[in-house]
Amino acid sequence: MSGAKKGRGKGKRAAAARPVTVLIAAMGGEGGGVLCNWIVSAAGSTGLPVQATSIPGLAQRTGATTYYIEIHPVPRDRLGGRAPLMALYPGVGDVDVMVASELVEAARALQNGFVSPDRTTLIAADHRVYAIAEKTAMGDGRVEADRIKVAAGELAKRAILADFAGAARAHGGVLNAVLLGAIAGSGALPVPSEALADAIRTEGKAVEANLAGFEAGLAILRGTDRGARAEPATAADETAGVAREAFLIEQRNFPDAARELVALGARRVLDFQDQDYETLYLERLERVAAVDTAGDGRLTAEAARQLAVRMTYQDVIRVAQLKTGAERAARVRAEVGARAGEPVVVTEFLEPGLEEACALLPGFVAWPILRWAERRGWTEKLRISLGVRTTGLIGFFSLWLIARMRPWRRIGHRFGDEQTAIDRWLDAVCAAAGRDPDLALEIVACAALFKGYGETHRRGGGNYRRIEEAVIGPALTGAIPVSRAAAAVRAARSAALAGPGGDALAAALAATAGGSDGSAIASVERSDARAAVDAAGSGTTAGAAESKMPATAKGSDAPAVDAGSAGSGGPAAATAVGPTTTVAGGDTAGSRGPAAAAADGPGATAGADGKKTSTATAASAAE
Amino acid sequence: MERSFKKEVALLRLGAGEEFAGEGILAVTKALLQSGVSYVGGYQGSPVSHLLDVMVDASDLLDELGVHLETPTNEAAAAAMLGASINYPMRGAVTWKSVVGTNVASDALSNLSSAGVKGGAMIIIGEDYGEGASIIQERSHAFAMKSAMCLLDPRPNLPSIVEAVEQGFRLSEASNMPVMLELRIRACHVFGRFTAKDNIAPRISRKQVLEAPDFDYARICMPPSTYAQEKHKVEHRLPAAVRFIAENRLNERFEGDLDDIGIVVQGGLTNSVLRALERLGLANEFGESRVPLYVMNVAYPVVPAEIQDFAVAKKALLVVEEGTPDYLEQAVHVALRRADLQTRVIGKEVLIEAGEYTAEVMLRGVQRFLDEVAPEGVDTASAADQVGALDALKARAGELLGAPVPVRPPSFCTGCPERPVFSALKVLEKEFGPTHVAADVGCHTMATLPPFNLGNTMLGYGLGLSSASAVAPSFAKRVVSIMGDGGFWHNGITSGVASSHFNKDDSILIIMKNGYASATGWQYLPSSQQDRTGAATGMSIEAVLKGLGVPWIRRVRTYNVANMIKTLRRAMTSGVSGLKVIVADGECQLARQRRLRPQIRKWLQAGRRVVRTRFGIDDDICTGDHACIRLSGCPSLTIKPNPDPLRDHPVAHVDNGCLGCGLCGEVAHAAVLCPSFYRAQIIQNPTAWDRWIDRRRQAVIGWLRERAAA
Repeated sequence: MSGAKKGRGKGKRAAAARPVTVLIAAMGGEGGGVLCNWIVSAAGSTGLPVQATSIPGLAQRTGATTYYIEIHPVPRDRLGGRAPLMALYPGVGDVDVMVASELVEAARALQNGFVSPDRTTLIAADHRVYAIAEKTAMGDGRVEADRIKVAAGELAKRAILADFAGAARAHGGVLNAVLLGAIAGSGALPVPSEALADAIRTEGKAVEANLAGFEAGLAILRGTDRGARAEPATAADETAGVAREAFLIEQRNFPDAARELVALGARRVLDFQDQDYETLYLERLERVAAVDTAGDGRLTAEAARQLAVRMTYQDVIRVAQLKTGAERAARVRAEVGARAGEPVVVTEFLEPGLEEACALLPGFVAWPILRWAERRGWTEKLRISLGVRTTGLIGFFSLWLIARMRPWRRIGHRFGDEQTAIDRWLDAVCAAAGRDPDLALEIVACAALFKGYGETHRRGGGNYRRIEEAVIGPALTGAIPVSRAAAAVRAARSAALAGPGGDALAAALAATAGGSDGSAIASVERSDARAAVDAAGSGTTAGAAESKMPATAKGSDAPAVDAGSAGSGGPAAATAVGPTTTVAGGDTAGSRGPAAAAADGPGATAGADGKKTSTATAASAAE
Repeated sequence: MERSFKKEVALLRLGAGEEFAGEGILAVTKALLQSGVSYVGGYQGSPVSHLLDVMVDASDLLDELGVHLETPTNEAAAAAMLGASINYPMRGAVTWKSVVGTNVASDALSNLSSAGVKGGAMIIIGEDYGEGASIIQERSHAFAMKSAMCLLDPRPNLPSIVEAVEQGFRLSEASNMPVMLELRIRACHVFGRFTAKDNIAPRISRKQVLEAPDFDYARICMPPSTYAQEKHKVEHRLPAAVRFIAENRLNERFEGDLDDIGIVVQGGLTNSVLRALERLGLANEFGESRVPLYVMNVAYPVVPAEIQDFAVAKKALLVVEEGTPDYLEQAVHVALRRADLQTRVIGKEVLIEAGEYTAEVMLRGVQRFLDEVAPEGVDTASAADQVGALDALKARAGELLGAPVPVRPPSFCTGCPERPVFSALKVLEKEFGPTHVAADVGCHTMATLPPFNLGNTMLGYGLGLSSASAVAPSFAKRVVSIMGDGGFWHNGITSGVASSHFNKDDSILIIMKNGYASATGWQYLPSSQQDRTGAATGMSIEAVLKGLGVPWIRRVRTYNVANMIKTLRRAMTSGVSGLKVIVADGECQLARQRRLRPQIRKWLQAGRRVVRTRFGIDDDICTGDHACIRLSGCPSLTIKPNPDPLRDHPVAHVDNGCLGCGLCGEVAHAAVLCPSFYRAQIIQNPTAWDRWIDRRRQAVIGWLRERAAA
């Protein structure tokens, strides 16, 4: 009630009571309808005129949908038989309480104008349920959560973002009940808190759990439940107490900023093979540290991460080792929520094939076999589908035996091949560091292309080689000017991760090849929103990418950037694609085009944050 | 139907003076009983499914009243039910989702309208238009005009809707025209109140049966009757309807002091117009407007005299009419022209030509109208400022968010039996390359969305196979058509299977047999395990296919992806020409869970051994390529931040929603994905033997682990 009144009484609006409007954004199957019914029932029991509607139609599971409620703040018996006007649609700039069951749904409400600084109390669960485009990206396609929180802080009269979902898990309740408690706690409705709780009782389903959830939501708003959210592990957590690695690193010359990651990497490599291999890791890294002259140690730190991952490539032995590892059984039990005393039977889905087996054989034996299989088209077909029970004796023992084959790995041709490829990559990094530290960093980051198994692995390696040939090589010889080289590598890498088809990479490489005549194609691959912002920020070239999203794809042939491109030759064409993309435009000289504004990000708007934001964080169940 | 509507049924029993509090479509259901209908029918579909669902659960009440309920297999059959009102003074009502349902029903509706009705015949139309709609965006209005049916479009509050039903039957009887009652999505789902009346037992019913048939060739749609019927429409029925509408004041006029302008609005949009006026300071909180309103609760036929009377002495009218074409705007123009009135008519040029009239569209439209006509005593500049502020708000939000928020299309539910079929098709694409896929209407239409993007055309319910009939012979590979069991019984048997087989088409058809009309709320089908009374249906898809002589029929359990791939491969490469049908068998998981969950809870409480299955992913083995997600799209298969500080791409993750359907493991095998997937079977209430063997195994495994660590 108090929340609703303040926005009124200005401009033309009659001084009379307007309805308090509530919009609930949820995903199909989340119980948004039940939340809506609770509010309606509570308002009704208080004698207030209330109307609600929804568009559940096609939402099903995970589709976005909304529920809309209007509550007239004057009880029916004081209206003299007159019916207040109730509308069926939420109005832009006309919502008092905006409830969102998830962070991106809150962002959608912001985007649609349903959160305004003069009247809206925004109550949103700030966890993420990823949208399909974010999930299917080959790399990292997640939207930036911080940006949404900053926007919420500026656009809402009062933004209440908290881990309500975590609170629901912790209290054994359901999210919608926690949100009802938060709504009650916000005091934004002309309905007393007790009436809202009573609505749960009246409905009569899972009353106890829902009331517990309600109380949890209420507690978060009252600030009595303010735990810290469990943060993901950092390098510091994992290296704590690793005296051996710390000692080894002390003996060598690494920048301070990289030491934690180096220690972690060294331990990973040792676990993978043996002490000699660990020494090799440190020696290789020293080569990078020697040319890391930027002063911040970033190149060494990044190389420490990527090198460790590349040196611990996944083969049959590694998978067996991880599947039979010491902590794994406990981790699986926790993950699947098995309670004490409940036996768990774990079955692994393994698909060992000819390639994996040959990886452990010396080259002179392996290659003839692989070539023979290739000719007959059997490389993919010769494999066995196994369901191995690692909780059973035979299954565990088989994998345990394979894991014990570590020493044998050095004989296999793959080990040698991997080392050659790693050295080649490090040579490129070190050569690049002398020309441009950014270029060296970009080449380091290209290690992320090597991942997966079978086809994914072949595709990633192939993509790297194409980039090496078309971009990295020419960059190191100077055929691509230093000013453009780092950006060109980044663009090619993003394009390689744009989709399994490889069309985007081909386009990006073609653009780079044509780049020397002065025209640049600026665009962004659809899945990697972060890369999009990066590319826009430095006003650089990026690979062209095609969208497959029918509803939102937009192609633009128009010159996107004129102002920034003067002097660099032709205009830069921007292609915006897909739902998660930013249009990036820029010129080759590095000056900022209009799109660069998007890259200023949270930093630029941080000043607007805070003044009316209260952000509570609930204790997460993970604690 | 695996859901129960006990609470709703109780509302249908309310007597005179009692307060009904509930949803719009349920209020219509109650109003039908208050109007003394003899029969009710329809075909399920959002947003009117509820009417039938609740009626099905109210069979006791219907028996008491003698009302007949039929749940036909399609809208054509439902529309034909109204034929009962041609010869006999019986009131009846049918319902469906429109415009699609009206399309299917239109043959019967044309004949019904031509013959004319004695008893009130009503069609409750769920106008599936705008946000939340799942079908083509067209107006049902055209059908009313071309067949001469009345079209009611009442104000979207329960008392108005209920009155429209009751008056609608009278209008139908007074004019001999069938009446359509149009409710938009939000009106169907609106929660509100009205004062109930007693239900009326029909005069002709299952309890009071007819004794003799009525024969009248004038009611048969054959020449020369048809000529006479057409004449009767324009000479008798339409004038009678217009008279009834005017005499009973079905349309409403609200006066206001700004009487040199006015707004003509469809009844269903009245509240939206009033809210826009209220926001602009031209109406109060009770919807009392300074701008006069003419509310057309009857959208067809129009009453020209009322329009002329409203327009006279006004310099401009705003016509608020959603969707295209602008039939009402045209009708207003004609009415003014015929009376030689020079009042300016403004309509879609200030609103929008196509699309839903949301609060924002309405606010902008009314503001632009005011700007255009500049009525005395209205501060139009301030109204413009108010709209400008909204633009600024949205622009600022866009700027802060940087990029458009990712869309969240609907998707297959967790554990859906239909998903594996599309995973199989996706895996097969690698082998054969993509082929033409004819999609159909149902849950399986979600396959046209990411991550599958499978489906090249969508022509209508049960029409998947027929839509491929001209593609198949001109396509290099065998084409694949999809049909649900709902679509099969709706008309897929005749329009699809029989037609294709009759024409010797060489084609592949996948029939999704999940046991219900799942997308519309788990209504029973002829091939369901049971019908709505709980008895076995005795009908089966396979029996029909065999009866039609289809030469190649395979039934595959959907979750077995390897088998599905094998069967599809055989269908693609088989030497047998002609129709090849794969029945993809797997019960709707939502319906199954609804049934199983309480059962399992009971077992657990009773201490019975229950094995819970779910899937998981090893973070340290998952490489973050997400190929598994691109082949599944399961809501519970998602991503999470990489817990490994050495890597940054998010890893795949199975959340607690997992039902252990097994697709992840099947896909990991069939598509040769990474070995990070595992299946966990958690033994709840383990037996002594379970515990003993587990302890022994753990002991040995623990010893081996120690050896490895040493």
